[in-house]
Amino acid sequence: MERTEIHELSAAYALDALGPEELDEFERHLAHCEECREHVAAFQETVAELAYDTDAPAPSPALRNRVLADARREQPKVVAMPARRRWAFPVAAAAAFAAGCVALGLAFWASDLAQQLDDERAALHRADEVVIALSDPTSTRIPLDGADGILVVKPDSSEGWVLVNGLDEAPEGKTYEAWVIEEGEATAAGLFSGGGERTVVPLTEPVPEGAIVAVTVEEAGGVEQSTQDPIFISEQAA
Amino acid sequence: MARGLAHLSDEALVALVARADEEALAELYDRFNRVAYGLALRIVRDPALAEDAVQEGFLAVWRSAARFVAERAKASTWILTLVHRRAVDLVRREQPRRAEPLESAPQQAGEDTEDEAWLRLRRARVQEALKRLPDKQREALELAYYGGFTQSELADRLGEPLGTIKSRMFSGLANLRDLLAEDDIEREQWKEPRSTS
Repeated sequence: MERTEIHELSAAYALDALGPEELDEFERHLAHCEECREHVAAFQETVAELAYDTDAPAPSPALRNRVLADARREQPKVVAMPARRRWAFPVAAAAAFAAGCVALGLAFWASDLAQQLDDERAALHRADEVVIALSDPTSTRIPLDGADGILVVKPDSSEGWVLVNGLDEAPEGKTYEAWVIEEGEATAAGLFSGGGERTVVPLTEPVPEGAIVAVTVEEAGGVEQSTQDPIFISEQAA
Repeated sequence: MARGLAHLSDEALVALVARADEEALAELYDRFNRVAYGLALRIVRDPALAEDAVQEGFLAVWRSAARFVAERAKASTWILTLVHRRAVDLVRREQPRRAEPLESAPQQAGEDTEDEAWLRLRRARVQEALKRLPDKQREALELAYYGGFTQSELADRLGEPLGTIKSRMFSGLANLRDLLAEDDIEREQWKEPRSTS
């Protein structure tokens, strides 16, 4: 099939309008054509708008129960871990938690983060992001030395978050400042004020492999280069 | 609800569903069951069959949530894609039921909750964009998406070469995308003087 022709199929694919053979052929093509995957993704967003041309009547209330019953029946197939241990971390990561670091507290973190932050919209967006990062098994999680918490890094984007339990609010006129330290060079990665039971800090700089993250206390407004000793630091390189 | 799920984004809920979180699935169902059911009903034209499509669609959400990539697509798009696929599979299996898909379902007068008002706006937006498409492009998109016809069936039905149908769907979707984007810009401009007055 010609290249332009197969390109055009991304529209029919997004509309679910390919016959079984064409579908097989196009999906094989998609597996190694980034350009077509992008076309499909864009077309699917448009196609999904078509779904809203309906007066959206309510289905019977029993349907909700049928959907949830299906899920319950399938539970063991979905995840390899027992259903109750929803937020269990991989064993290796759990073993890396230093003694005294409240692993249980961390386990609860993701699931009730939204409640903790639910009156701040901006904070909620942060909660979303970190819930996604925490639930991604490929994320790196490194305990903090000097505070009860972890550094979470998404491997694909190197986006990082520092999560700290029970961090006191920064003193009057001061701020906490995060740093990404790579090959001895520290880059400022965001200011935050702490306080409250849990603090979620989205780092404004990527955390490349081999880097560590540290936090200092600085004058309000922050600084570009710090002369302070860190109050806590990630235990090992990301 | 015991947990604060109502305030999470759709994408964060899918991440929780990937960890076998039933409450997150319930929350997604509550957010999308009406549009999903409305879509399925428009395609399969039978309430029981439409419910089957929604049920199978959400089962697919449950099974494949771990493969959903938030950077790639909106969760709402992904969910509606899964439901649409099930509805189309069902209607293709039940050929005799397939009716003329062109006219849309009758508009129902009902009490106007905030959700319903929002769904009506969303509907008006896509209807307006569809109206502005060239007739033949609109026809191809509607027959494919709401009628569940494959591109080859469409070519037979309309008596046109397959190549023509393919390009028509491609240009139709590209135009629809532009029209929807244009509409968003207009709405923004429209809002501007009101908020400053």
